[in-house]
Amino acid sequence: MSSMGSRETNPNFMNGVPELLILRLLAKQEMYGYEIVQAIRNQTDSVIAVGEGVVYPVLHGLERDGALKSRRKTVHGRSRVYYAVTVSGSRRLAELSKTWTSLAGAIHKMLAGGQYGEAV
Amino acid sequence: MAKPFSQLRERLLRAGVAPRHVRRYLNELSDHLTDLRTEEERAGRSRAEAESAALARLGGMESLAKAMIEQRQFQSWSARAPWAIFGLGPLCILAGAWFVALFILWSGWQIFMPGTSTPFVGLLDRWAMLYFGVGRLLYFGAPIFIGWLMGLVAARQRLNALWPTVGVGLIALIAGVAQVHANRPLSGGVGHVSLGFALGASVQDISTLLFHVLVILALAVLPWPWLLWRRDKSLAG
Repeated sequence: MSSMGSRETNPNFMNGVPELLILRLLAKQEMYGYEIVQAIRNQTDSVIAVGEGVVYPVLHGLERDGALKSRRKTVHGRSRVYYAVTVSGSRRLAELSKTWTSLAGAIHKMLAGGQYGEAV
Repeated sequence: MAKPFSQLRERLLRAGVAPRHVRRYLNELSDHLTDLRTEEERAGRSRAEAESAALARLGGMESLAKAMIEQRQFQSWSARAPWAIFGLGPLCILAGAWFVALFILWSGWQIFMPGTSTPFVGLLDRWAMLYFGVGRLLYFGAPIFIGWLMGLVAARQRLNALWPTVGVGLIALIAGVAQVHANRPLSGGVGHVSLGFALGASVQDISTLLFHVLVILALAVLPWPWLLWRRDKSLAG
């Protein structure tokens, strides 16, 4: 590890967003860690940058909370841990989506010069 | 364990992350690193360049360690409540083992020598010796085995020696001053077996008990140097 470079981590990514993105991705299909990180990168046009390994503590935490379940599966000779959303995870995704949609809408409104902008 | 992760493993264990969570994390990181390296090699990089780029993409040791350490639910019980793991837990195990040992003594007394006033007699048949031998092994072996277990847990989880030392000291003290009593009422009937703790009335008694405590302590920590050597070897590797 001493040879590892230090990759900058987008601090916003570390504040509850990973759970949302991971649950959203896994709601469609089961995936393993590498696939999840690549999907996040592709679907966010690399806007969300993250040291790829830090996805695992989030996955393990969600699994421990009962939002995800995992199983080991061998595909093309490689054994991998696949994650999928549970019923509880779906509920959590719905709650998180609602919160973030509302928050993003509020921020967008403010940046576009909504109520506060008009008052100024 | 992949060599690039040996420092991360030590960092996580020393931060109190439970060994099973560390193992799982590092296994998945190792798989992820393989995927990244393959991807980089497919992009035309040399093996060495691909390895370097893959490690950079995976994240620095500090960020990988921090992400895991911040998840408090992955902390081991030894880190969260060392007083329970090295104090209360061993005492409960010792109490359980001694309960079984005393039950063996009592039941053996009733089965093999119902007429005697004490179970501590010399002339016994083979089955009686075997039966009582199990009880003796449990009684005398439990404190030592518990000491070994504490050493193993501490070495495995890279804990400092304070709590295991306190724990093994407590167990050795209790085991050293414990005494088993057995008596049957003169009028006959069922005999009683009990456990008492006595420090002794004279200097001679106290020095004998102290000697017992030190012998138990020495036996209980016997494998600790070897466990520490193995831990240090693992760190150096």
